[in-house]
Amino acid sequence: MALTLVAMPTEISTSDSSNTGELVRVDRNKETAQERSKRFEADALQYMNQLYSAALRYTRNPEDAQDLVQDTYAKAYTSFHQFEPGTNLRAWLYRVLTTTFINTYRKDQRRPQKSDSELEDWQIANAASHTSDQGKSTEDVVLENLPDSDIKRALAEIPEEFRIAVYLADVEGFSYKEIAEIVGAPAGTVMSRLHRGRKQLREKLSEYARELGYVQGGAK
Amino acid sequence: MIEKIGCEQCNDSLLLFIDNEIEDSAIFGGIAVHLQECPGCREIMEYERYAANLIKDLLGRSCRESAPSSLQERIAETLRALEQEELGYSQTEIITQYRRTEIIIDGERQIEIETSHEIRRDFPF
Repeated sequence: MALTLVAMPTEISTSDSSNTGELVRVDRNKETAQERSKRFEADALQYMNQLYSAALRYTRNPEDAQDLVQDTYAKAYTSFHQFEPGTNLRAWLYRVLTTTFINTYRKDQRRPQKSDSELEDWQIANAASHTSDQGKSTEDVVLENLPDSDIKRALAEIPEEFRIAVYLADVEGFSYKEIAEIVGAPAGTVMSRLHRGRKQLREKLSEYARELGYVQGGAK
Repeated sequence: MIEKIGCEQCNDSLLLFIDNEIEDSAIFGGIAVHLQECPGCREIMEYERYAANLIKDLLGRSCRESAPSSLQERIAETLRALEQEELGYSQTEIITQYRRTEIIIDGERQIEIETSHEIRRDFPF
C-alpha cells in the first residue's frame, strides 16, 4: 500500500517552488485515506500564516479571521481528493479561503458592500486617469514612512472586491488568471478591480500622509 | 514580429505591461520598443512602476501575520476529528452492569446475580 511518488517530468508550473510537496505526482486512486490525510498535513499546513494574514484583511477582525481559516482547512481537507497533485496548492487553498469568505462571512456582515456597478462615475474616471499625476512626488517618499496600521486601515477601507484583488496580486503575487480562478470572476473584471483598488489605496495612503503632516498642503 | 505601438496604445496597456500580463509577444515587444524611443511614455512607465512597487512593498511589509497558537491547535483538532470520521474510527464504550438481587423468604436467603454488557458506539456522521 505504498504511496506512489513519481518525479514530475516537465510541467512544473508552480510559482512557489519552495513547496517540494508539489513536485511529486501522487496516484490518487492508489492512495489510502490515511495517506491522503498525511499528505494534506505535510503540504497544506505550511500556508497557515499566509492564509491567516489574508483572512485578517478579508474579514477585518481576528475572531472571524480565525474561524475563516479553520473552516478553510476543514473544507480543504474534505475536498483534498479533488486537488490535482502537481498543480498550485497555494492557489487552490486561496480559492477555498476566498470562496468560503464570500459564501459565509460576507453574508453576516451588516455593512452593505458596494459592487462594481454601484461605483460612482467619478471613481471610474479617477481610476482611468492614472497617468494624470506624473512624476515622483515628495508624497511618495513620505508614504514609505506610514506605519503598518495605516496601510492596513487603508486596505480595510476600500471596497471588498477591490481589497481581495489587490491583496491577491500585490501581497501574494498571483497573476490575473490565477486571481480570476480564485475569486471566480473573469480576468477582465479582476483587472478592473485591481487597477481601481490600487488607485483608491494610493489615494487613501496619500490622505493619511497629509493628515499626519508628512506632506505640506494638498499635493496630489 | 513586433507591432508598431503609438503613445495612446502604450498608455492604455501600461498597467498590464508593468504587471507582466501582456501575453501577445508582438504587442509586448512593440511597447518595449516604443518605451525605448519615447522619453515621455518612458517617464510615465517608470513612475507607474515605481508606484506599483511602492504599494507592493508597503502591503508586503504590513500584511505578514502569524497564526496564533490557539488557531493552530483548533485546526489540528478539527483535522484529527475529520480524519477519524473518515477512517471510520469511533469511540467505543463497553458498559457492563451487574445486578445483585437478594431475596430472603422465611429465613432462607437466595442470591441472584445478573450481568449485562452494553456496547455504545459513536457513529461517524
